[in-house]
Amino acid sequence: MFTQFFGNFLLNEKLVTPEQLVDALQQKKETRMKLGVLAINAGYMTASQVERVHELQSKMDKRIGDIAVELGYMTEDQVMELLHAQPLGYLLLGQTMVDKGYLDNAQFENAINAYKEKYSLTDEDIANNEDSKVESLITSLVDFSKTSHPALYEQFVSLLMNNLVRFVGDDFTPLEPEYEIKSTSFKSTMQGIKGEFEKETRIFADEAELIQFACRYSGEDITELDEYAEASGQDFINLHNGLFTVNVSNEEQIELQLTPPTPLAELTPNEVSNCLILPFQFPFGTIRFSISL
Amino acid sequence: MDIKDLKVLVCDDSILSRKKLKDCIISLGCANVLEAADGEEAIAQYDSNRPNIVFMDIVMPKKDGIEALKGILEIDPKATIIMASSVGTQSYLKDAIKAGASDFLQKPIDNKQVKKFIDSFCSKGGV
Repeated sequence: MFTQFFGNFLLNEKLVTPEQLVDALQQKKETRMKLGVLAINAGYMTASQVERVHELQSKMDKRIGDIAVELGYMTEDQVMELLHAQPLGYLLLGQTMVDKGYLDNAQFENAINAYKEKYSLTDEDIANNEDSKVESLITSLVDFSKTSHPALYEQFVSLLMNNLVRFVGDDFTPLEPEYEIKSTSFKSTMQGIKGEFEKETRIFADEAELIQFACRYSGEDITELDEYAEASGQDFINLHNGLFTVNVSNEEQIELQLTPPTPLAELTPNEVSNCLILPFQFPFGTIRFSISL
Repeated sequence: MDIKDLKVLVCDDSILSRKKLKDCIISLGCANVLEAADGEEAIAQYDSNRPNIVFMDIVMPKKDGIEALKGILEIDPKATIIMASSVGTQSYLKDAIKAGASDFLQKPIDNKQVKKFIDSFCSKGGV
């Protein structure tokens, strides 16, 4: 989840534009980690030391790691450690930004340090996907304190992000929550939660985005808004809400029921006027989810 | 019982869920897979085709899976019905087992579990 939130952080701090973010999300798969970015992230080299090493490398036929060791910036052990560590997702996004020139080494250094400081993150937290830290990222994105059941809403949002990673893909960035929409071109599917936490939940987007979402989710080659595309949105929200009700039943001893998802239909803005709306930026566009307040 | 002779009914309101489960069952060597898109249709299909195993979703329009489960067991108290649903909450589980479901599969469905049920049915006549 730290990868997804790093994108959100870069956007909010206006370090990259939304277009650059989408581009980097698209390119991330092809990105290979380089020693400079790894060393900056680990705090072994500063951005200016990395620049110096790159400058020297362009003049001599030596490996980056060897130059860094010769200059006394890093030990050989540190170089080996970085080269053998499992790359972390948010670093791939950072590396892509650097490769594309959207961030230079110094901007990346500042961004990564500020990100970790803001959420008190260590590389260990990130590698272990530390639950308590993920929670603090989610509560800083959405203010649950004004909702009727903060713990349930938080669980809903956190599970939603995990389900997106699990069933759709990890290459998304959660955008700032919205409380209204203006567009009248969205198509939506609604599923009701019944019981002590009676809510309307929706997935909605423009047609082209829904088709792309359906391709990802179903693993089928879907090219138009047909019954499989419709079923994909319905299935995903039903699966997510189902797992939500299971968690709530097991952890909070609250028994909730679900209604069948509605057919895909045009969404009028007033249908989500009293809702928490969560937009997720994927490389193919934005998918929104809502839950009534 | 040979898997080739097995007749399976997949009941789910989602065409995508039906396709996934049907593809999985066919890949195991079973050619006879029937479909139903809601609880009423499931009961009607069961009545006229008498499948050996039923996979039944719970949250469905018209009649939900628990009602359909009861309806089928009224027709045939020995029916083998496996609930396959995303809502594996304590109360839905209790309702399903109490009403006579043979077992419960939590969605997302694990194809290995489906294979286990079908293998066990073919060798022992039950799940």
